[in-house]
Amino acid sequence: MAFLRKPAFRRGIFRQPLQPETHLADRLKIYLALQKNSLKASFARIWETPIASSLTILVVAIALALPASFNGLIQNARQPVEALETTSQISLFLKPELSNEAALKLAKKLKQNPALIDASLISKEDGLRELAAYSGFGDALAALNNNPLPAVILVKPRTTDADSVSRLLIELKTLAEADKVQFDSEWLQKLQALLAIAQRCVTAFSLLLGFGVLFTVGNTIRLELQSRRDEIAVAQLLGATHRFIRRPFIHSGFWYAFLGAGLAWGLANLLILGVRTPANQLAELYGSPYRLSFLRLTDTGILFGSAIFLGIIGAWIVVAYFLREIDAE
Amino acid sequence: MIEFKHVTKRYPESGEALSEVSFRVERGELTFLTGHSGAGKSTLLRLIPAIEKPSRGEIMLDGVAVQNLRTRQIPFLRRKLGLIFQDYRLLNDRTVFDNVALPLLITGHNPHEVGRRVRAALDKVGLLKKEKRLPLALSGGEQQRVGIARAIVHKPPLILADEPTGNLDPDLAEEIMRMFRDFNDVGVTVLIASHDLALVRRFSRRTLRLEHGKLSEVG
Ligand SMILES: Nc1ncnc2c1ncn2[C@@H]1O[C@H](COP(=O)(O)OP(=O)(O)OP(=O)(O)O)[C@@H](O)[C@H]1O
Ligand SMILES: [Mg+2]
Repeated sequence: MAFLRKPAFRRGIFRQPLQPETHLADRLKIYLALQKNSLKASFARIWETPIASSLTILVVAIALALPASFNGLIQNARQPVEALETTSQISLFLKPELSNEAALKLAKKLKQNPALIDASLISKEDGLRELAAYSGFGDALAALNNNPLPAVILVKPRTTDADSVSRLLIELKTLAEADKVQFDSEWLQKLQALLAIAQRCVTAFSLLLGFGVLFTVGNTIRLELQSRRDEIAVAQLLGATHRFIRRPFIHSGFWYAFLGAGLAWGLANLLILGVRTPANQLAELYGSPYRLSFLRLTDTGILFGSAIFLGIIGAWIVVAYFLREIDAE
Repeated sequence: MIEFKHVTKRYPESGEALSEVSFRVERGELTFLTGHSGAGKSTLLRLIPAIEKPSRGEIMLDGVAVQNLRTRQIPFLRRKLGLIFQDYRLLNDRTVFDNVALPLLITGHNPHEVGRRVRAALDKVGLLKKEKRLPLALSGGEQQRVGIARAIVHKPPLILADEPTGNLDPDLAEEIMRMFRDFNDVGVTVLIASHDLALVRRFSRRTLRLEHGKLSEVG
């Protein structure tokens, strides 16, 4: 911290303290006041050049809004998929010749399996009754002289990730009593895989556009450095340290990133608003209570946090490079 | 306070600006540096705050070997000096007040004190009423006085002034010189480069004379 810094010399005229205030609390107060003044001054400078500044802020905002809104949409898609996940089950169709007792015994045995939450038997008779009740074909079914339905055990797996489900499917298929095994939500797994790919794409995309933010802010700061070259030279003649010279530019970087992130937040939510109506209609068609939501608090935090980080790093790199060039002269 | 030992400064473009210059300025002294145009006065003054490095020789400033300082240390040396430049070196897009406040901001002074100290310095050079002006809206002499206010605002123990009265009328020049003498009276070491020989003589202080880069007379 700057206010903790000791003076670089300990002899002669240099031994006197640089400032009369020696208490740490006073120095902290001064340090914070300096930071506040510099932040205000940097903001004022951005405000004074509205066209150039808003161009930078707009580019930063677009680079941030793209990953933020895609990420928001993916997060949105995830919720209903995760909700569906818990309802996924495996239907184990039993061989037609199997007796009811044997079927019941198998169901009991499967219930003991730690990989399963539940295993419930729907006997041939139960199946026929259910079908008659729900399908409205009661009379037609009653006319049949033997029951064509197989007995089914509905199995609920404890974990629904692709690996454990496929292992379970193989295990069930090899049972002597099994005729056919069907995982009711294979499409769900495919959807999940797709979402995972999309998530990866957004991450890669974010990194790329993050560099965009870094370079945009960096380039703007570089131009600002060039135009304030004389001022920097004078400040150096009067004893300005690198830290002192760096400070206003770091604060400019902060403001560009912060304002860019704010605009990006608005743009991303606008985009989500755009797809909200059709998405909600779709959810309604499926009878889902689920509704599209705007950027969550954590995602907003990540958006602002990473933007400010990139803005400050971008400014830092450019100023460090500039100062090294000056010192070499 | 200041000691030059066989200092030579050679510019690749124009040859030796200073040759084998040796002298001492004691603490609390007021010393003049005179010489014709191009004699090397500004060059000599630029060596002390490490704005330039000597080609040969040694410069001691209160026990610190200036030519050996690291880049990182130089700012802390300069904060202890009051520098007045021949070409003023003001920030033309900042007000007079902001220009004078700059050394205080650089050294991290209490912001609540800045206003009072800046006005005290401006009062000393008679520019209290022009604190809100931009430097280019001032006369040459007024700009020069802004530069002087900036050099004294942080009460440095050593003032190096390059032609501080070059653009002032005789009365004002005399007044500014008296101001330097007042500083000297309270213990500030002062080195003033000037070719206004009449003025220098009137103050009858020790005078170093440069001639084509050689220190020809010490008296
Ligand atoms: N940056 C530089 N590069 C090359 N040569 C320089 C540079 N600065 C000064 N000189 C040369 O060094 C010599 C001394 O210059 P200096 O500015 O020290 O003179 P001065 O005594 O201050 O003159 P004046 O009274 O006109 O201000 C001159 O011959 C000048 O051409
Ligand atoms: Mg000169």
